[in-house]
Amino acid sequence: MAVILLPSLLASEAGGRNRFETDATTVGEALRQLPIANLVFDDHGKLRRLVNVYVDGVDIRGRGGTEVALDGAETVRVVAAVAGGIAP
Amino acid sequence: MGTLLLVGTRKGLFLLRSDEARREWELEGPTLVGWSVYHAARDPRDGVVYAAANNWVYGATVQRSDDLGKSWERAEQLGLPEESGLKLEAAWHVEPGHESQPGTLWLGGDPGVLFRSDDSGATWEPVRGILEHPTRERWHPGAGGLCCHSVQVDPSDPNRLYVAISAAGAFRSDDAGESWEPVNAGVAAEFLPDKYPEVGQCVHKLLLHPRQPDRLWQQNHCGVYRSDNRGSSWERLDGNGLPSGFGFPIMIHPRDPDVALVIPEEGAENRVTCDGRLGVYRTRDAGASWELAAGGLPESAWAVILREASSSDGLDPAGLYFGTQGGSVFASPDEGSTWLEAASELPPVLSVEAAGWP
Repeated sequence: MAVILLPSLLASEAGGRNRFETDATTVGEALRQLPIANLVFDDHGKLRRLVNVYVDGVDIRGRGGTEVALDGAETVRVVAAVAGGIAP
Repeated sequence: MGTLLLVGTRKGLFLLRSDEARREWELEGPTLVGWSVYHAARDPRDGVVYAAANNWVYGATVQRSDDLGKSWERAEQLGLPEESGLKLEAAWHVEPGHESQPGTLWLGGDPGVLFRSDDSGATWEPVRGILEHPTRERWHPGAGGLCCHSVQVDPSDPNRLYVAISAAGAFRSDDAGESWEPVNAGVAAEFLPDKYPEVGQCVHKLLLHPRQPDRLWQQNHCGVYRSDNRGSSWERLDGNGLPSGFGFPIMIHPRDPDVALVIPEEGAENRVTCDGRLGVYRTRDAGASWELAAGGLPESAWAVILREASSSDGLDPAGLYFGTQGGSVFASPDEGSTWLEAASELPPVLSVEAAGWP
């Protein structure tokens, strides 16, 4: 089973869980199974611009995005983009 | 009976409670940590609290609590159909529906959209009559986006609704939200080539008087207005004691439809309170004249009060409330004659909504 790790706000929205196991075969399928799927995908089903996803430490952007395949041994980490300034 | 204030901030929701005297306030929170709460309201029909919540990474949603903020339940996916070409940017204002329609709520959002829920906020559907309004191409966003910030339900007719959008103007529906008529006659849009267009006005906040629901008030980018005919025409009311027609919030008296209060700002290019002070201005004669009602407020201040950040309660005498970008919440237990600071050093206040308590 692949493991998905969530940052604190998403864990809070997932009932306090920051770790999920999945037998999904792609990153997108794995994320859509989560109870916080509507926070990481926008209203058109696209991964939100400031949500970063790393599979075993590698950013999925530019490597197939949410179509990146999982074979069951990976750690998928969801990370909010780092930013400064006044926007938040 | 006391008052509960739901104070939405850039960093979560705070609750302020007081007894009927409304002179001492107890602060609780924050809850909804990590969310910017653009507006929160307690449904008078069942006591449930709803929050229009936004996160700069995770987007817009509506949160629902039936235990006054101890726990929250998030709505299912909130969004717009892909064929609309629009994406939801923010959830702005949540409004409980008519008392005869339990479970029905309305949500205004950016970009100029309205949603309806018929299952107590679990799911929301965009209102097509607004989404596909024939004048939409003449709407244009302002500094706050193209935000649908005002949603009002006529208590005397469940089919009559109003919304106001910046900068699109005010719209009325007489058929429960199916169709929407622009109601902007007499309202200036001084920033447009046509100063009195059908749509495009920059309404900052619109309120309906619950005891006289044909009467509407609005604080606009270009003045303060009152309508006595359901928005079909408007009378401009600034001057006669108001230092500026520009401002964002407006408060009304829960029983006397001739009483309203505004907090003017210098102008569109200098958005701070007028004359270097924090001044609330009150009319008791339906806008014919205005008086400064600032007893107890800072006399040296350059404050910013956002459009959702004021409210009034239903007690007698009426309590009035507003919050500042500096993190203060001011309360008046005597209809604006005197004010006290109910909370300070909060995150920037985005919204204040009063509800009965307990």
